[in-house]
Amino acid sequence: MITPRPLKRVFTVLAATLGLAYLLPLVWVILTAFKTNNAVLKNPNSIFFRPTLETFRAVINDGFGAILTSLQITISVTALVLAIGVPAAYALSRHAHPLWNRVATIGLALLLILQMVPQPMTVIPLFSVLANWHVIGTLPGLILADLALLLPYAIIVLRPFVLAIPNVLYEAARIDGASSVQTFFRLTIPMLANGIFTVGAIIFITAWGEFVYAINFLPEGTVLPVSGLLAQQNSQYSANWNTLMALAVLTALPLLIVFLFAQRRLVNGLSLGAVK
Amino acid sequence: MVILAAFALWPLFVLVQMSLSEVGPAEIVGNWSFVGLRNFVDVLGDFETWKAILRTIGLCAILVISNLVLGFIAATVLSTTGRTASAVLGILVFVWALPPLVSGSVWRFLLDDTGTLNAILGLLGISPVNWLSDPALALWSVSAVVAWASLPFSILIMRGGLLAVNPELIEAAAIDGAGFWTTRWRIILPLMRPTLWILAVITVLYAFRSFDFFYVMTQGGPGTSTNTLPVLSYYTAFTNFDMSTGATIAVVSMVVVLAFAVPYVRTIKNEETS
Repeated sequence: MITPRPLKRVFTVLAATLGLAYLLPLVWVILTAFKTNNAVLKNPNSIFFRPTLETFRAVINDGFGAILTSLQITISVTALVLAIGVPAAYALSRHAHPLWNRVATIGLALLLILQMVPQPMTVIPLFSVLANWHVIGTLPGLILADLALLLPYAIIVLRPFVLAIPNVLYEAARIDGASSVQTFFRLTIPMLANGIFTVGAIIFITAWGEFVYAINFLPEGTVLPVSGLLAQQNSQYSANWNTLMALAVLTALPLLIVFLFAQRRLVNGLSLGAVK
Repeated sequence: MVILAAFALWPLFVLVQMSLSEVGPAEIVGNWSFVGLRNFVDVLGDFETWKAILRTIGLCAILVISNLVLGFIAATVLSTTGRTASAVLGILVFVWALPPLVSGSVWRFLLDDTGTLNAILGLLGISPVNWLSDPALALWSVSAVVAWASLPFSILIMRGGLLAVNPELIEAAAIDGAGFWTTRWRIILPLMRPTLWILAVITVLYAFRSFDFFYVMTQGGPGTSTNTLPVLSYYTAFTNFDMSTGATIAVVSMVVVLAFAVPYVRTIKNEETS
């Protein structure tokens, strides 16, 4: 796009300002997590300090169980979402029969609407549903709730990846005499590697940061996941800032890792799910 | 698909059922007595509900203005190529994917009465502002944070829309003597109308989902000053243990969400078939 030269200079300054408005708060948080409790108590805003790992050590020591809980929840949720979501996305994008096409269209519209239901509005009925199924206050119950929350999104994001597989390949597989199950495992899944990675990463990040279900569906006294600990710290009146910020960094850790190693894939996946 | 229906649709059905019954903490498992529309009469007759609706509208207004106006300006700025622009885009994507729980915690720390923002104001000789503890200010502070968190998404979508505009059109405008801003206003903005519409709808839906920020930063307080609809519904159900009233408020806001979601979904479906 053609931009007049003086305007270009103004734009660079504006872009940098915008970047700082987002970067500085994050940098500040990470710095605070490396301060000692005393340093923060004395002056929460000191710029010069000696960085220590004291806070992280304490948080990880106290919260070791929390990290394990988080891992249990997140790995199960991600695995289940992919195990159900990949076949579902496949089924919704293959045009086999006109009747099935209509079902698929309605199914897709439902998924889109479901994905927009605000989470706090599902907490109330889910509480009763899980209680009736006798899984309230258990990890499987929480995993089930997370699954219901994230599955519609996963299917919507996976579908374009399935649609992108050329039809010729399926025909070739049929001519070679592959059964539909074989085709799915030998052709669809390998072709979807990129999509599966992207969706898996997004689901992992989201499930790791989920807290509304975690604090409501797990009974008092159980080991909360990391996100639950962070939410709990926040609900206390006076917060321990360095602990709070260290927990925030831990809650954002999966995102940080994915972002460092696969930024472009993450961006593509996120924008697909957001617009469609 | 059957599993999906059971998982995702069943709770919504239960929600409506709850709103039509009398449910307290004791009756979670068991039979609910049907009370018809009484809960709705109670909820819609309550002044608090209407105040919550007004607050939700306020939040939506701030988000729509910020996402569309600031979003368009920022997208214009970032549609130029260069190292600064791509570095800033990277940061924006990161913030976009950050769990709201984390960004809410971050801003709770920065906006605290003795927090960083007030410290900076102090250096400039301005007396501290009680961003989150002043009932008159808290709603706007949280709204500003939600705007901060949702702006990156809007910028990225708008930038995509801007880059999709046919460059020949822009050249033609330049040849006709249109200046940079005239081109933006008269040619690019009208072309982007569909994107702007979808973005506005997504933003309103986002406002209804931004419960996490309120939970983390104010918990609906001080007093009830930051109770938006989702927040009010949540605390009615889980702090006052009035499940059926909470469910009723949730149904009321669901109706609003659906009113926005259905036309949006229809647009997308049309786009796919064409």
